[in-house]
Amino acid sequence: MATTQEERQPGMGESMLSRKVIVKGDTTYKIVSKSVTEYHFTVPYILPDEERVEVGQIFSIKDQGLTFLARVLNIEHSSNYDGHWDTTMKGTQIFDQDQIFNRVIAEPLGCISETGGFKKTRTLPTKFAPVARAEINEFKFLRQVMGDIEIGYLRNGSRLVKDIPVALHSEAMDHHMGVFATTGMGKSNFMKVFAASCMRLAARGESKFGLLIVDPHGEYLKGKGPVKGLVHLKKYADGLVCYSTDKNNASDPGVEELMIGLKDIEPSDVALLYDWSPAQKDALEAISRIFGRDWLSDLNRPEGISKMVSENINEKTAGVLSKRIKNVLDKNRYINDIRSSIPNILANIQDGKVVLVDIPRMSDRSELFLLSVLSRCILDAYKEEARPARKNCLITIEEAQRVLGSESNTVRFETIAREGRKFGVGLCAITQQPKLLDKQLLSQFNTLVVMGLGDRNDRSQLEESAKQDLSSMDVEIQTLEKGEAVISTLNIPFPIPAKIHRYERYLEKLQEEDRSEDKLINKVGFRPVVD
Amino acid sequence: MIRDHISLDGIDRYLAETGVQSSDFVPVQPREFSGEIFAVDGSNASICNWSTANVNLIRAGYAVYQGRVWRRTVITFDDVFLADPKQCKNMFDPFLQEFFGLNGVDLNESDLDRLSSYYRELQEYVAINDALTVAQPGDIILYDGSFDVFELLRGALATIFVRAEQKSVALLAVAKSSSLFWGEEISMPFVQHTSMAGSLLLPGSAWYLSLKDKKVDASQGRWNGQTYIVRFCGQSEHAFRVDAPSFLQGEMASVLGKLAAYSCSSECLGYPHALFRAHRDIRITEEEGAAVRQRLMGELLEMGMPHSEIRTLMQDFHDILEMRSGF
Ligand SMILES: Nc1ncnc2c1ncn2[C@@H]1O[C@H](COP(=O)(O)OP(=O)(O)OP(=O)(O)O)[C@@H](O)[C@H]1O
Ligand SMILES: [Mg+2]
Repeated sequence: MATTQEERQPGMGESMLSRKVIVKGDTTYKIVSKSVTEYHFTVPYILPDEERVEVGQIFSIKDQGLTFLARVLNIEHSSNYDGHWDTTMKGTQIFDQDQIFNRVIAEPLGCISETGGFKKTRTLPTKFAPVARAEINEFKFLRQVMGDIEIGYLRNGSRLVKDIPVALHSEAMDHHMGVFATTGMGKSNFMKVFAASCMRLAARGESKFGLLIVDPHGEYLKGKGPVKGLVHLKKYADGLVCYSTDKNNASDPGVEELMIGLKDIEPSDVALLYDWSPAQKDALEAISRIFGRDWLSDLNRPEGISKMVSENINEKTAGVLSKRIKNVLDKNRYINDIRSSIPNILANIQDGKVVLVDIPRMSDRSELFLLSVLSRCILDAYKEEARPARKNCLITIEEAQRVLGSESNTVRFETIAREGRKFGVGLCAITQQPKLLDKQLLSQFNTLVVMGLGDRNDRSQLEESAKQDLSSMDVEIQTLEKGEAVISTLNIPFPIPAKIHRYERYLEKLQEEDRSEDKLINKVGFRPVVD
Repeated sequence: MIRDHISLDGIDRYLAETGVQSSDFVPVQPREFSGEIFAVDGSNASICNWSTANVNLIRAGYAVYQGRVWRRTVITFDDVFLADPKQCKNMFDPFLQEFFGLNGVDLNESDLDRLSSYYRELQEYVAINDALTVAQPGDIILYDGSFDVFELLRGALATIFVRAEQKSVALLAVAKSSSLFWGEEISMPFVQHTSMAGSLLLPGSAWYLSLKDKKVDASQGRWNGQTYIVRFCGQSEHAFRVDAPSFLQGEMASVLGKLAAYSCSSECLGYPHALFRAHRDIRITEEEGAAVRQRLMGELLEMGMPHSEIRTLMQDFHDILEMRSGF
């Protein structure tokens, strides 16, 4: 409400009256309380659908030279009336609409200074400072803090802010990334968009890490029906290298048949495939000592078992070992003593390319086995002295709860999570059940891509281990729709609400973008500087 | 026993003993109206109380509506009043002279509570007068209360009536409570029983009833006007005492019709909505009273009065009993 001095012609008794006139001002969209950690402002209690306030929306508060940003945590009914006026109401028409309003409770994100810089704030906006939905202008500063791997657009509530692309930082990838969503909420779509952006960087020679994706569902290579795959990004095919265990796929141009040499496999790779008794474990550990590098072929020979027995291994134990290992070789036909793709895979990763290993219809166990072999080879290679232009590496693990769970016995991935960063190797853990991940490991993940998670335990697990405070976003995370995400990462000052590009649309966008850029290059003869 | 004093038991006795006839209840037809409705109200809160001199916070003003839309609220007086019989003349006379051309009154009054009530009333008349200066012909000014007022202020009211008539502005006093009664042996509440009778005779309708020549003492003749009982809204059970100057007698149906159109708000069904808003905008809340008390104590402290003295003087034992912290 505003108080003004009313204009009046001088007359009777004017000098004796100190008249105060209260007129209808803007009683809503104003800060009314409350503290440095929580802002309250009022909005009309009836709003057209497109102007309704939603949890998660970001509002801006203009206060002299500063613009505060705050995210909606909750909305409450409120009014200037006391008591139970609203449940005892008669009649049909409210006269004084200005006396009834909604109170919006928002959490401060920080403050933009006049020069456009953003920082966290230790103060609060002046009482009655005007509040408005944050628009492109208030979000501009985000452009400066975004990274190089575009994955979507900024989202304000359900509205897209198309002018602000959301992009992750390559530099943050060796600090590990987690992608979390209930099934069907868009994990695979996200990974394809992410991979596409990585391919683009690689094809332009700008990539800073190689990306390994082992895909047991056969969805990344060519997609299915209308859902496209990575090979459809022809423009940046240079940034992609594909291997497949499927003979059909491997006959496609640009796809190689996957081969793993017998010599590439170590007894410890087999270890994670079965539950072993202590005696069997000991025997497994003894194998490399007994047979040396050719252990797999040696063990497979008829005299293999007797050699083990001669080394004091129980005959029955030796039999089980031999049988299980034969079984592994039977199921993983790409293992042979002809040729190995591993040196090439390593080279491509170190060049910063996207390496897709397509293993359709392969069992859970076999997939883990292969991923484990590849990861070991990668970590070993990265532990060695780096050649100058070597790029970092990001290893994708689907259903990561299998290997990073609090009860899983796969030390290998835990080791990468704990110390991979020292060697430039990061993990990209994808799971629908973050609650099954080990909390300590999870706290090593510095980039979290959180999509819709219905299960409260999943959310609280993430909220407890995230680097940025996500607890206030619980309702928003619970209500995220397909493709919507909240992204918490290094270098971006607060968790960012995003809409992940739909992969098929992103393909089109990449195509468009490049054509116009080509044109520019042709016309003007130089490459425009991207700010 | 209690029942004997309040139960109506059919309307025959009521009609017989009050002289009211069924046909005296006149239906009111709500009619939209594009002019402005002014609602004048005042408020009075005790700040401290020494029985030799009292300090009160007094506020007066009016809310302005056009149809269902609130336009503004004007506060014409908002200050502390020291009720001191010796100082009184200086407080009343300038206003009486300036606004109503009266030579001042002889306030032979030692009841301090009454003094502050009179002062509040005076300020309410100043507010009515202020509303009159901006009102257009055909507009309506409502006053929260009655026109049967303290004798010494009647002169001010008379001036207001004359100005209202000159300007063709309708002026009505609407009382939320009334002490009118009827009955030959035991006194019965008149407004409430009239309301019940109205519900029986004109169910679902707004109506009014003139008390002219009825056997009810509404101080008829003591001031220049007429008292009515009015139901402003057909859906409501409430009726109010309404006082109108005599120049309005022929227009009551039309003026009440306009009011009836704006007395059915959800916020306060049955009461002219402008008066509801005026009451809320002008009332002095407990917090405001407390704040003024604090300020006053601060000022006394600055003038050099010792803290303990102020404390003893200002603290109300009620506050101590209620365990309200003070100063
Ligand atoms: N960013 C997006 N924009 C629009 N639609 C999307 C988006 N992400 C996912 N979808 C839709 O949701 C469907 C499921 O997505 P996706 O396969 O990526 O989910 P998922 O989390 O990987 O599921 P699952 O747990 O089964 O692997 C997609 O086919 C697509 O229709
Ligand atoms: Mg998927």
